[in-house]
Amino acid sequence: MPLMRHSNEVREMAGELGKYKLCVSARSADKAILKKAQDGGIVTQLFKFALEEGIIDGAIVAGPGDEPWRPRPFIATTVEELMTSSGTKYNISPQVSWIKEATRSFGLDKIGIVGTPCQMQAVRKGQLYPVGLRDVPDKIKLAIGIFCMENFSYQSVKQLVEDHAAMKMEAVKKMEIGKGKFWVYGQRGQVVQLPLKVTHKYEQPGCHVCLDYVANLADVSTGSVGSPDGWSTVFVRTRNGDDIWSKAIAAGCFETKPIEQVKPGLELVTKLATEKITKNQKTVEERAKFGVNKGLRNPYLGPK
Amino acid sequence: MWNYTGIAKRTREYHEAIILSKIVEISPTTRHEGHSKLVLKVDDAGIIERGDWLSITPVRGVEKLAIGKTMDQVPKIASRVCGICPIAHTLAGIESMEASIRCEIPRDAKLLRIILQSANRLHSHALHNILTLPDMYLPGTDTKINPFSPQEPVRSVAKRIQRLREIGQTIGEIAGGEAVHPSNPRVGGMYKACTQQAKTKMYDLAKEALVLAHEQMDFMIAILRNYQKRDWAEVGGKQIPIPKTLGYHNQGYMAAHPMYGSSSLDECPGWNPDRWTDVRPWDWYMGEGEVSLADPSYPIGGTSPVGTKVNPQMEACTGVPLYDGSPVEVGPRARLVQFKNYDEKGTIGQQVARQMEYPDCLYTIINALDEYNPNGKVLADHIPQGDGSLGWAANEAPRGTDVHLAKVKDGRVLYYEMLVPTTWNFPTCSRALTGAPWQLAEVIVRGYDPCVSCATHMIVIDEDKRLVAQKLIQ
Repeated sequence: MPLMRHSNEVREMAGELGKYKLCVSARSADKAILKKAQDGGIVTQLFKFALEEGIIDGAIVAGPGDEPWRPRPFIATTVEELMTSSGTKYNISPQVSWIKEATRSFGLDKIGIVGTPCQMQAVRKGQLYPVGLRDVPDKIKLAIGIFCMENFSYQSVKQLVEDHAAMKMEAVKKMEIGKGKFWVYGQRGQVVQLPLKVTHKYEQPGCHVCLDYVANLADVSTGSVGSPDGWSTVFVRTRNGDDIWSKAIAAGCFETKPIEQVKPGLELVTKLATEKITKNQKTVEERAKFGVNKGLRNPYLGPK
Repeated sequence: MWNYTGIAKRTREYHEAIILSKIVEISPTTRHEGHSKLVLKVDDAGIIERGDWLSITPVRGVEKLAIGKTMDQVPKIASRVCGICPIAHTLAGIESMEASIRCEIPRDAKLLRIILQSANRLHSHALHNILTLPDMYLPGTDTKINPFSPQEPVRSVAKRIQRLREIGQTIGEIAGGEAVHPSNPRVGGMYKACTQQAKTKMYDLAKEALVLAHEQMDFMIAILRNYQKRDWAEVGGKQIPIPKTLGYHNQGYMAAHPMYGSSSLDECPGWNPDRWTDVRPWDWYMGEGEVSLADPSYPIGGTSPVGTKVNPQMEACTGVPLYDGSPVEVGPRARLVQFKNYDEKGTIGQQVARQMEYPDCLYTIINALDEYNPNGKVLADHIPQGDGSLGWAANEAPRGTDVHLAKVKDGRVLYYEMLVPTTWNFPTCSRALTGAPWQLAEVIVRGYDPCVSCATHMIVIDEDKRLVAQKLIQ
């Protein structure tokens, strides 16, 4: 299993950030990747390297869907296909739905998958408890997690963009949640910022019980928070992730800076992670007393 | 409703007969799929005069519960009849629906189904080797083969069998979506086309398995020929004489195709529903009786104790399908008899025929892959919803012809019937028991590679094709 066994190899900076071996601020050395990337192009660059080196023979990524800014998970087996999946889409992309099919009609032996913290949890659970996932556990070769505070339904994002930000979905060049705002950048140069308070009622309710901010169970996790614009914060977590990351560094795929030398750095990541977990932990606890003399299910406790 | 006078008469005749002979019962039988038993009437020397091999697997009634369900759902349920040959039931089920609604599937979908079919046959025959080998001897010795032994040469054989099965399952998984209960087939074709990469992987695996399959076939045939030359086999510490005519019968053979199958959509169908009739087990099997011979040393755990009541007529959980009015043999030998003039009778002839099918599984996969276009269409443009016409599809399952018949109207199943290989073989194999020492009855049974779960269903159609009895819960 890719999860680390030797705890002495792992620096536990804080429980909120999970176990990891290394944390850096990084960006891809490839200009073409950076041009389309949400932040430092870590996911696209790492999958590109893994594909080219034969570490994986395909990756489940979030590509363009039927409507603008609606993601559709698909299995990229070439760098060209991979490049179409750059950029964050702030609504649900059911990544894990392809995990078995990748080993079937696609004939893959070494699968890469990118996803949010919950999707990394699904991958790991599938590896340890493969219910209806025959031949999947040993074929996951690179799981890249992205930081995630919460997600939205497509209808929610459409409402935010078209009503609150007054922009057509197809006119949007990039969306971003950062610096306490929901940012919408138009193709023609417009920039609209919405206070996060506006977005709260549109959040997917299932996100409110999530206790993972920085994809604790991934081989490598990455996100924008903690690093400057155009750069990403990267946690290298497992032995497998470390092996691939080191090779990618040696191959000159990334520029890196020690996380201690960048602003706002890990302090902000820790702060946001703590906020997410504290808030959602409270929601989880409240579920136990949701009704009168009865509560709602708590998946972290298991069946009684 | 039933003819009690007939049963009473039969029972009386039967009681008269057992004054001179004894009844021994082996229950349950082992090293085959499902739950069955042998009720054997033997003479003083322990030679079987009349044997009844019958299913005692609980009837699950798939055909009955299929009625009213959608044509897409029913084959997925039918698949769960058996986990060794789910491919047969999935494909026969889907193709019977396609035959009823008259839907032609695209060529590349058909090729994927053929690959799936052949891969499953490879795995199934290899699995059956494991079940057969403990009856057999290492040539030139009096040592029986334990396939789980860590000693050579057995260990390498077991590894080869496992690799063949692994390859069969992996190819099936790629072409069919899943090795056990394939998910890819659907009414109208397949859900997913295989990519070029998947095609290459299947091709490499098939080439690897082809070499192993030739080796395994040669090995198994040598083992089987050695058994044929022996005068006795050891069972429970006793030397039991092996008759030269072990497992001979005079029933006919039935096969729809050497490899894949046939359906009512074909120009020249390989099976004819007009030649099929069903009889009830109580018309065919022995009636009430009592075990009068027991052998506690029969491995492992002995036979049923003296005094045990038996009643195959009532206990049998299968119908008895007949072709041209008589039981027939289906399976590898039937295919070779029908299509390649194979002429060896008996249990060993049957086992040899099974081994001879090994290479064909892989040549078929390789040829189908050569023709397969990864960019081709795998779903029919138009899938009719059906007008209630009868359609049937026969799939040549590892164990023989698996015929499913269906009537679909407005996308729903009005009628569904499964005529499964082991159902055809039950009465035939029972006949083939005659003349063998009762201790070798299971060896004869295993020659049929029985799949008793598959065989167990209980809708009986009389000669005018009317539903005459349904025994779902008794």
